[in-house]
Amino acid sequence: MLKKAKGSKSKKLLVKKETEVLIPDEMGEKVTDPDSVEIESRIEFVEEAAPMPVEKAAASLARNRDPWQQNFADENTILIKRTVRSGQCIQFDGSVVVLGDVNPGSEIIASGNIVVMGALRGVVHAGATGNEEATVAAFKLQPTQLRIANHITRAPDGEYLAPDYPEIARIKDGVVVIEVYQLGQDRQTKIC
Amino acid sequence: MGEVIVITSGKGGVGKTTTTANIGTALAALGYKVVLVDTDIGLRNLDVVLGLENRIVYDIVDVTHGHCRMKQALIKDKRFEGLHLLPAAQTKDKTAVTPDQMKELCRDLKKEFDYVIIDCPAGIEQGFKNAIAGAEKAVVVTTPEVSAVRDADRIIGLLEAAELHDPKLIVNRIRPLMVKKGDMMSIEDIIDILAIDLLGVVPEDEMIVVTTNKGEPAVLDNNSRAGQAYRNMARRITGEDVPLMDLQDDTGFINRLKKLIGFK
Repeated sequence: MLKKAKGSKSKKLLVKKETEVLIPDEMGEKVTDPDSVEIESRIEFVEEAAPMPVEKAAASLARNRDPWQQNFADENTILIKRTVRSGQCIQFDGSVVVLGDVNPGSEIIASGNIVVMGALRGVVHAGATGNEEATVAAFKLQPTQLRIANHITRAPDGEYLAPDYPEIARIKDGVVVIEVYQLGQDRQTKIC
Repeated sequence: MGEVIVITSGKGGVGKTTTTANIGTALAALGYKVVLVDTDIGLRNLDVVLGLENRIVYDIVDVTHGHCRMKQALIKDKRFEGLHLLPAAQTKDKTAVTPDQMKELCRDLKKEFDYVIIDCPAGIEQGFKNAIAGAEKAVVVTTPEVSAVRDADRIIGLLEAAELHDPKLIVNRIRPLMVKKGDMMSIEDIIDILAIDLLGVVPEDEMIVVTTNKGEPAVLDNNSRAGQAYRNMARRITGEDVPLMDLQDDTGFINRLKKLIGFK
């Protein structure tokens, strides 16, 4: 539960649940109707009486024995916070997330999924160890070559229209298909 | 048994890759079985110029290290049956291949192809040594600039030291109008310095930029003057006696007008 505590010096950023939204007015009144609240008000600085230092959070993460979460513990993922340029090659046993572009002439090989938060123009190989459930998603999916497990695909020759929305590539019925990436479409399915 | 020809220059940006792509395509168009080998490991371009970038699965490093068979790495061109490309690796460097491995590679390739054309990287280091290792003939590309001619001279010296005698010369990007005015080195000036036989002269052509970006060699365009020059060179390589094309005929006012309204 969130509330405004006074007297504490540490500040912590809290994101509130959607069901109960506070309006940051002077009175600190609680309002339950989300429609009357602007988006900006959902995030606010709240001074907390008992600050949670980083060490404590880390210890709590280490103690976490939630079986549902443990299922994903072996899924390695790396985050690459730069543009992957020509000649650079990223090979990883797990999933790869790129915060940036993947330029032509570069290569990403992952045993899991590949997500590019930018333009994907290089060569990518998802599920490189044979995982046919692996997917490749990008804001601009225009790879030189796209491979999933043992499938190899490339764009058709000649001019074609490059769509300006996020897309996802996966294997469906034995062929690689590229679809519009829809928010939440994977929420119910098994995360591979 | 085929012939192994290396296309080199020393200086970068004078048109080695463009020349390789165009002469290779022209030879294939004449009906020969041709393989183009890109030895510029780490900075490969030949695949892009040919428009075959998206077909690469295996490359020259995979072949020399035995990760795949030669047949798997060779990419068939989309236009000509007889044209093949052996791409360079992009994520490795020049030391990934040794001159001995190149010699073996060229020996294997010339059994199956009429012409093995090697695109050499710029510079005189490892990449250059790899590229010339398996070659039997050499073609030196230069532009009418003092720096390019100086580098070409150095390269000819290195080729002779490597027992590659009588290299042929291609003068690229010449502008007849500037030569006439005396602002640019003429072909005679260049031959005077380098003292080797001329294979051909390529006039400056804006269409080269367009065709290179599209991934279609200029020799496929019948209106391109550079394409015509490359077609002639291909025929000279096969042993045919083709006279040098007249570079001047583009300079007259009437001719330029004709070109402008699409009669040429």
